[in-house]
Amino acid sequence: MVVLRGFLILILFFLLGEAVRVLLGLPVSGGVIGMLMITAWLMLRGTISTHIAQASQALISVLVLLIMPGLAGVFFLADQFSGQWLAFGVALVLGTFLSVLTSLLLMRHAADQDSGHE
Amino acid sequence: MSEIAGPLGEALAAVTSSPFAAIALTLWAFLAGAWLFVRMGRPVWCPPVLLSAVILAVGLVLLRYPIEQYRLQAHWLTVLLGPATVALGIPLYQQMHHIRALWKPVLLLLPLAATLAAFYALALAAVLGASPEALASLAPKSVTAPIAIGITEQLGGSVPLMMAGLLVTGVVATWCVDVFGRRLRVTDERIIGLVLGLNGHAIGTVRAFEISPLAGAFASLGMGLTGIFTAFMLPFAFRLWQV
Repeated sequence: MVVLRGFLILILFFLLGEAVRVLLGLPVSGGVIGMLMITAWLMLRGTISTHIAQASQALISVLVLLIMPGLAGVFFLADQFSGQWLAFGVALVLGTFLSVLTSLLLMRHAADQDSGHE
Repeated sequence: MSEIAGPLGEALAAVTSSPFAAIALTLWAFLAGAWLFVRMGRPVWCPPVLLSAVILAVGLVLLRYPIEQYRLQAHWLTVLLGPATVALGIPLYQQMHHIRALWKPVLLLLPLAATLAAFYALALAAVLGASPEALASLAPKSVTAPIAIGITEQLGGSVPLMMAGLLVTGVVATWCVDVFGRRLRVTDERIIGLVLGLNGHAIGTVRAFEISPLAGAFASLGMGLTGIFTAFMLPFAFRLWQV
């Protein structure tokens, strides 16, 4: 029952996010707006009830399960992208390679400077 | 799978037309992937989500389960991605004191790092002649799935293609952080976690939790902030670009 109460609150924030998305014409999904709103709401309250914490933990732990139907579709992709695979693959692998290298160097530099000032 | 006639065929048809057939198959593949991952000795290059997805795809082929029918019925699972995205706000709130402790690199450099994560791949793909639809599917490659689906739909990309990008990015990012982290002698688990989350979304975050709870906390943070920032930035950037 505790988890269900938390689940209800998460669903309400999702619906609230959907409503805000449509009302303001935002280019972001209702889930993202709901996430920002629940974070702001918790910061205002300054405390989190166990039923929200438990419900969110339960949902996050099955996140992989929820995205699997989409991932399985990857293996059944139609031939519509047959000419794109090289560009797509190179961009993904090389792009990720460069991005990880840059962000590691950036973050290390910033953290070093930060601790240097203390 | 409906070639069998008679009562047995009817029973089989009843079972396969229920959304629970899709849910059971997905759940089974999820558990089988997790089990296989442990049996393989938790390899960094092959995360459980990759194993589960392959097992699910093989299962669908072997059972001759039409992918369209599966997708329709598995919708009962995927609608939960909405509340699951909202749920990502809770660790964000719980780690607020960590953000305050390392706020400068996180808040100042994360938008830049998240932009670069999309930019490098987009620039490379554009140079190599990818179509606008492929570019729109590629753009949210470092964003966690529930947010990335929304972004791709908004940009006019293909969700299955975007999912392929997510899978490859997550696996490659996990591997790159492992190799570069050692080469560059980055030992701060907060940085390792942050970089894993901001580049490798949920797949990188799962890996970070294997390293330590601290790395995991920072990976959730990096994943959450990258998702929010990219969700706001990309649609506006695409709109500007197309003008």
